[in-house]
Amino acid sequence: MRRFRELLGVAFSGLTSRKVRTLLIMLGPVLGVAAIVAAIGINESSKGHLKAKLQELGTDLIVVNASSGLGFGQDPVIEAAAVARVGRLPDVVAVTGTRQMSDIVTVPFAGAEDYYRAFPVPVIASGLDLPETLEVPLVSGRFLNDFDESSGARVAVIGRDLADEYGYLRGESRTIELNGVPYGVIGVLDYVLLEPSMDSAVFMTFTSAVNDWDLEDPDPSRLYVRAPTNTVLVAEEIPIVVSLGGPDGANASVPTDLLDAQSQVDESLNNLTKMMGGLALVVGGVGIANVMSISVIQRSSEIGIRRALGHSRGTIALQFLFEALAVGVLGGIVGAGVGAGVVWAVADARGYTMVLSVVGLVGWALVSVGVAVVAGLYPSTKAARLEPLETLRLG
Amino acid sequence: MTETVLALEGVSRVYGEEVQVRALDDVTLDIRAGEFLSIVGPSGSGKSTMLGLLGILDLPTSGIVRVRGTDATQLSDAERSRLRGEAIGFVFQQFHLIPHLTATGNVEAALLYRGLSARQRRARALSALEQVGLGARHDHRPVQMSGGEQQRVAIARAIATEPSVILADEPTGALDSHNAENVLQVFGDLQSPERAVCIVTHDLHVAHAARRKISMLDGQIVADEALAPG
Repeated sequence: MRRFRELLGVAFSGLTSRKVRTLLIMLGPVLGVAAIVAAIGINESSKGHLKAKLQELGTDLIVVNASSGLGFGQDPVIEAAAVARVGRLPDVVAVTGTRQMSDIVTVPFAGAEDYYRAFPVPVIASGLDLPETLEVPLVSGRFLNDFDESSGARVAVIGRDLADEYGYLRGESRTIELNGVPYGVIGVLDYVLLEPSMDSAVFMTFTSAVNDWDLEDPDPSRLYVRAPTNTVLVAEEIPIVVSLGGPDGANASVPTDLLDAQSQVDESLNNLTKMMGGLALVVGGVGIANVMSISVIQRSSEIGIRRALGHSRGTIALQFLFEALAVGVLGGIVGAGVGAGVVWAVADARGYTMVLSVVGLVGWALVSVGVAVVAGLYPSTKAARLEPLETLRLG
Repeated sequence: MTETVLALEGVSRVYGEEVQVRALDDVTLDIRAGEFLSIVGPSGSGKSTMLGLLGILDLPTSGIVRVRGTDATQLSDAERSRLRGEAIGFVFQQFHLIPHLTATGNVEAALLYRGLSARQRRARALSALEQVGLGARHDHRPVQMSGGEQQRVAIARAIATEPSVILADEPTGALDSHNAENVLQVFGDLQSPERAVCIVTHDLHVAHAARRKISMLDGQIVADEALAPG
């Protein structure tokens, strides 16, 4: 144990006497470990974020988009009858259709025409069950109801971002102008994770869309379908149920699958980063071997005198191996720290919950130690093989 | 009869394989405890080769090198290194101090891996530095010292392990006459009944500070004479 401490002392004294060189050879392990730890940490944190997002969205929501049939020149829609057919499928518990309106300039308050003409907010004709289907609550007021639909009342629900921009106060009686036509704001919809564009949108009934905006039929172009059981099967059935062999088509997808796919893409990117980190570690190892080999030549006199003082070849080899070991340990610790810092910064910037495995940190720091020790083998052997008489240059 | 601390028995050292150079040719020599001897000779006479063999830094092509009676040629590197560290102290012409260590650190380097505690190592190093008159400079680095002082640190390093013999290679060769005289004085003071001092030199003034002079030529001992106290 004492011998071990003495060897460590000699190694540290050798390293601290050449601080710049030591810092330079530590760079390899530091960068390598930092890159790998950061890649894994960011991946895990982002996966955790995606998982939370998936849980929030639910994995049973299907989005159906109308696709062009034979009616060229027209926006593709899903006929009301087809919507009803989808609603009758055994596993479907809720269906809501929406249709984005065009050429409507929304002006929430006087004097904002120019701005909202340049950056128009989406205006969406919506079915009455949108909050239930998307499982998004209202932050104030209520959503469009049967009375609004049947009476064609000029009422609108707005997204939460638009409400903030608008300066809407909860329960306040306000109107919003759509191409100069005033609509009473009856409620504010909370954030819609699946469709962030809805956060700054205006929602109206299909009756209002037909009466005020010359929509030919109250047909949606998109459906949101909630099917808690057999979700994938329902998603496959919907296009058939919609078209029934006719010209109208529809594409159905489960957004959570897309998120899963996104996480797979992230995985490949992270594997690449991990490989680059591994490469940095290997290059760092080569750097250690290279710089330490030069150091052995520079310190040949010291090696000679230590041999003359009774240090065996084995002791000399261990001295240099311990220097490499110290570089690996320090590089590993600093690298793991830097990597963890990067993960924290990225998680903080993107709003993720930081996920970092302590076992992983220790593991990669140990890999750095391993690389450094392997890299130190050659210079250590070289140091041990030096003949003292050649390095001391007698008489 | 005093103990033989170092002995060469029919030692030859040949360098090279295709073109062979016989640096030492069948040399026999005994160095006894308490002796102060010098080895002299012109360049190429084999005195440095002999110093390397006496210090078991090198092994002979043939013959036996005995250190405290042990045949060093039969030992493993680790055993030979341990024997060297215990029995022999070295002083070199170029001092060969480790530049990043203080005077104490340099002397302590000779005391590593011997089972001594850090406190014991430091105490022995300071005592050795006191012996050569450098107690006050113990925390100075080589670069902060004169040549004479560096050589005295090297001598302190050589005696810190309490070896049976001190081998010195041109110890005054890199010093001015004043410092050389001081260092010679230190060597004179190192003489003791238990310890032999052997100086390799081509400087006859240094050689005559010793009590026994070995003269070498062409790898052989040509004279082995006792000198009267100067």
